[in-house]
Amino acid sequence: MFPSPIEKSSVGLRLAYKVLLPVALFLWLLPLLAIFMTSIRPASDIATGNVFGIPSSFQLLQNYGEVFAKTDALQYLLNTLMIAVPTTIISVALACLTGYALAIYKFKWALPLFFLFVAGNFVPFQILMLPVVDMSNRLEIINTVPGLVMFHAAFQTGFCTLFMRNFIKALPFELIESARLEGVDEFKIFWHLVLPLVKPAVAALCVLIFTFIWNDFFWASVLIRDDSNLPITVGVRTLNGEFVQQWHLVSAASLLAAVPPVLMFFAMQKHFIAGLTLGATKG
Amino acid sequence: MTSNTTVLTDRFATATGRAIAAGVVLVLCVAALMFVSTDLVQELFGYSQNIKAREPTFFIRISLLIGAIAAAFFLITSLSYYKRNKVAIAPWMFLSIGLVFFMIYVIVPIFQSISYSFTRWNGLYDINGIWTGEWVGLHNYKLLLNDPNFYTSLWNNLLWLLLFMLAVPIGLFIALFLNQTVRGIRIYKSLFFFPFVISQVVVGLIFTWAYNPEFGLLSEIWSWFFCETKTNIMGNLTRVCSPEPPSILGDETMATYGIIAAGLWPQIAYCMILYLTGLNNISSDQIEAGRLDGAKGWKMLRHVVLPQLKPATFIAIVVTVIGALRSFDMIATMTQGGPYGSSNVLAYYMYDQAVGEGVGRYGYGSAIATVLFLIMLVYISYFLWRMYQDEMEAR
Repeated sequence: MFPSPIEKSSVGLRLAYKVLLPVALFLWLLPLLAIFMTSIRPASDIATGNVFGIPSSFQLLQNYGEVFAKTDALQYLLNTLMIAVPTTIISVALACLTGYALAIYKFKWALPLFFLFVAGNFVPFQILMLPVVDMSNRLEIINTVPGLVMFHAAFQTGFCTLFMRNFIKALPFELIESARLEGVDEFKIFWHLVLPLVKPAVAALCVLIFTFIWNDFFWASVLIRDDSNLPITVGVRTLNGEFVQQWHLVSAASLLAAVPPVLMFFAMQKHFIAGLTLGATKG
Repeated sequence: MTSNTTVLTDRFATATGRAIAAGVVLVLCVAALMFVSTDLVQELFGYSQNIKAREPTFFIRISLLIGAIAAAFFLITSLSYYKRNKVAIAPWMFLSIGLVFFMIYVIVPIFQSISYSFTRWNGLYDINGIWTGEWVGLHNYKLLLNDPNFYTSLWNNLLWLLLFMLAVPIGLFIALFLNQTVRGIRIYKSLFFFPFVISQVVVGLIFTWAYNPEFGLLSEIWSWFFCETKTNIMGNLTRVCSPEPPSILGDETMATYGIIAAGLWPQIAYCMILYLTGLNNISSDQIEAGRLDGAKGWKMLRHVVLPQLKPATFIAIVVTVIGALRSFDMIATMTQGGPYGSSNVLAYYMYDQAVGEGVGRYGYGSAIATVLFLIMLVYISYFLWRMYQDEMEAR
């Protein structure tokens, strides 16, 4: 283990580490803590300059309630859910198929096509923006939630394929080989043999893609103009414009937007991290 | 003998029967697909506006498409040709849906964008559905070369790339700091990772507020050093500062640095988690061997630990470069490229030119996007080349 384990060092150092740890964390999360404190204080506090002290009264429920009552935050959150869940399902499902094809079959297009998925996954969004807008226009799905889901699902298929292919490649190939020799149909091998084995990868991808899509701002702002279809990220930005000088509400709305991915992360931490390392480092 | 033949013919009959059924469904689905339109759906279901018929039409189309694909698969698998060449055909069937989908939405648009960049177009079609743009050759690129905003954006992109790289060593540093086994360390690790999980829009808002010169976090810290509270003639408490706290996002020279600093926050968290996982997998034998050889501290890090962290470093650099070049959300929430375009980057400038206020300049926007794409292409090629080497080694 590197650096040397702290329990083997002197008492002073050990104590210093134990003190330093919470202090460092406090500084690291200071912006977040500060905005949380703002979100639970009354508006009058900010006006009188009490931005960082003890709030004159704790208004957690009032402020967050006001966000829901005064704005379309609930609608925005629902829209985000309607975008993120189908996208996750479609792209992970498609990637199981493509990843399987690219990992198991040895045909000469396997590597070039795999690289195509990888390369497409890394391009800047702006190079796709105008043709995608144009196409959505002509397919008459611009400004709709399904239209946004279609794009997200297609784009995320690239990342999911990268991950899934590498995961399946690491499975023992002899299993598939022997099933083939027994005369099992290719689709049955996929369904009954490989799919149960890739469950961890599916879990990792689901958590990750859900978070990516939940946090997407660019594509939603390009493909959706209708207020009633906006996801929470764009919604919060709009609120920021409407609620000038009402920082307690803006901060409450921002934190609301962050809650679901944070919960997701804490619930599925192991899978989340496995996904982020692109499968490069196992563990 | 006779019973054998009947079984054979029976089998043949069901196989052909299935093939024919699948073929009929396929033809029906494709025909219906060509027939369905929003106008038809509007009329059938009695929607008052055409726009309201859009989503139902989409779902009808998608269902028909799925039906057609399923039928096609049934048809193919019941052919004897498939049964003889399973291993050659099956991968294409597994690939087909995802690949076509990805091609339509990602690969083809790249080339479309590049072709747009040689035109002047505002994104519209005339009433007959005919494209209204015109071909202008390299005109947009010539305009770019004389556009000071383009150079500002390019320079800012460079700044992002360079300064964003700080996330890698800082992430490593925090990872080393946290790589201990004291009580509750797991919770500390996840809390340190926290900023990455939050949306960039929210990070942007948090920092916009933190930078606010009147009541932000930074002005509060500033006031500890440079301000005193006085009672003014009205009898109210006021804050007098000398010098005044800086308005980071309102200042042309500081805005970009302010946004980059905000962007570093989640990016450091990402690099940290990559290194933490990397450190987990380090072989303890080599560390012990290094200790026996008298290596410690910096020497140990440099010669024993870092070589083993190479995969983590590689991924960290890749995601940081991509993050730097993709920076859009933060700029959109914090400054919208301002003041006076000083915090623009290519990604945001392109968006602004193409679909921002006023007339859409699709051609010019595409030219900017193409430049950004070419910069990214350098990194993509490098990444693919590295992957190719790994693949060849693995064989």
